[in-house]
Amino acid sequence: MLPEPAATSQIPERPAGQRKVAAATLATFVALFLVSAWQTGFSVGDLATGTGDFFRFFGRMVPDWSYLPKVWGPILETIQIAYLGTLFGTALALPLLFLASANTTTDRVTLAVSRSVLTVLRSIPDLLYAALLAPILAIGPLPGVVALTLFSMAVLAKLGSETVEAADPGPMEAVRATGAGRNRVIVYAVVPQVAATMTSYILYVFEINVRASVIIGLVGAGGIGQDLLARLNFFAYGDVSTIIVVIFVLVLAIDALSVWARSKLI
Amino acid sequence: MRDAAPANASPAASVPTPPPQVRRANVARAGLVVTILLLAVVTVITLDLPSLERVARGLKNNAVPLLRGFVQPRWEIAPLAFSSMAETFFMAVIGTTIGAILAFPLSFLAAGNLLGGTRFAVPGKTVLVAIRTFPEILLAIIFVAATGPGPTAGIMAMGIHSIGFLGKIFADVIEGIDPGPNEAIRAAGGGALLVFVWSVVPQVLPEFASNVLYRFEINLRAATVLGLVGAGGIGLPLIQRLQFRRWEEVSMLLIVIVAFVIVVDALSGRIRRRLV
Repeated sequence: MLPEPAATSQIPERPAGQRKVAAATLATFVALFLVSAWQTGFSVGDLATGTGDFFRFFGRMVPDWSYLPKVWGPILETIQIAYLGTLFGTALALPLLFLASANTTTDRVTLAVSRSVLTVLRSIPDLLYAALLAPILAIGPLPGVVALTLFSMAVLAKLGSETVEAADPGPMEAVRATGAGRNRVIVYAVVPQVAATMTSYILYVFEINVRASVIIGLVGAGGIGQDLLARLNFFAYGDVSTIIVVIFVLVLAIDALSVWARSKLI
Repeated sequence: MRDAAPANASPAASVPTPPPQVRRANVARAGLVVTILLLAVVTVITLDLPSLERVARGLKNNAVPLLRGFVQPRWEIAPLAFSSMAETFFMAVIGTTIGAILAFPLSFLAAGNLLGGTRFAVPGKTVLVAIRTFPEILLAIIFVAATGPGPTAGIMAMGIHSIGFLGKIFADVIEGIDPGPNEAIRAAGGGALLVFVWSVVPQVLPEFASNVLYRFEINLRAATVLGLVGAGGIGLPLIQRLQFRRWEEVSMLLIVIVAFVIVVDALSGRIRRRLV
């Protein structure tokens, strides 16, 4: 039999620094949470009553299926907005993403400018673009298409430039060694490496855009959101529920389609 | 001169013709591109677009003052912009925290490798997908209608929506943990609680924290627009000024939003890189 060791001496002490960092992180976080709760007037009690109100409200939401035929037109417009936004966004992102990649753009000023523009564009959510553009470009699908185009362009150029920067430099050197210029290096060495990943990202952005296009109508940028807001203002909760169910099915269907297409790619 | 081919070699012969399956794939790809473009043309034609004069008028009357406001911002509304952006930030903090706390137990059910196996995993994942499918702003509208306008409605909407996102990612992280330490603790006589505290939590915590921060970045952006439907934050002063076409003040609010989001993204990104 081995001698019974003193239990405490067997467990090594955690380094004091690590414990201090953990305690400081936790304290900072708790303080931040308390300040936030105080500033926004939020209390845990609100959480309980809010949830109760929410479910009571949901209980009244019984879909009125007679509204269903009126949903298809706006739903089609919703998909059209998402489609055009993704397509135009992709077309604009393709040249931009090479400008924002360190391995295809050696000029530091161009690189810094294109990256900064993309960062600013990405910091604005798609619904905010729609809210800004609706009064400028007239209520309807046009501000929606432009809003989604701007947002998709910024997101795709960012994701794309990360992919391009992760590309294998070997083929690029090989093409460059044959005397090719930058554009040929991109076409023959970079594009074949990133095409599949980029296509997958485009599909992913299309999913995001469908989710966005169902709501941008709330600020007058076309699609089903416009009808949703109108029915809500009339307290026609039956119609609202019908619209929400259709939105739900649409988003699930587009997601499933996109996941399937992406699984074929990679 | 690099493009000039040497005179003695015929360039066409040196390039091998692609095998038939490659050619067939190329034809299929070309067909897909043509279909996509044709569909786009049909979409543009059938979409209800405004006249060019209307667009030109809109640009002249609205876009020009908006852009002018970026050059000469209205500093007198800067205090309002900062205080409502601070509220937006605080809403995102609470919304993200609620989402993370509620996602934590759900994710263990959805993960399927620790608790109960697939019995809970399938319904758990379905619930998470259903939550994620529901747009945040719709939740906010429902909360505004159910509990009244204000930041609480926005916080609730963000919290619920974040459960779907975080629960899914947490579950993926849990499914990827190394079972070795779990077995080691169990072999030493540790029960489920000790396995959880000393093996599962240390393994998942950095990834969890990193994803919570990432979700916080998303929620901060989302919180800027929740005010458009009356759910608190900077969106409310923004939509009011949009309705009255006070474009120079809109520009000031936009400058604050963009600056705030970029700074928070940069800070959060730096912390995340150190975590994982």
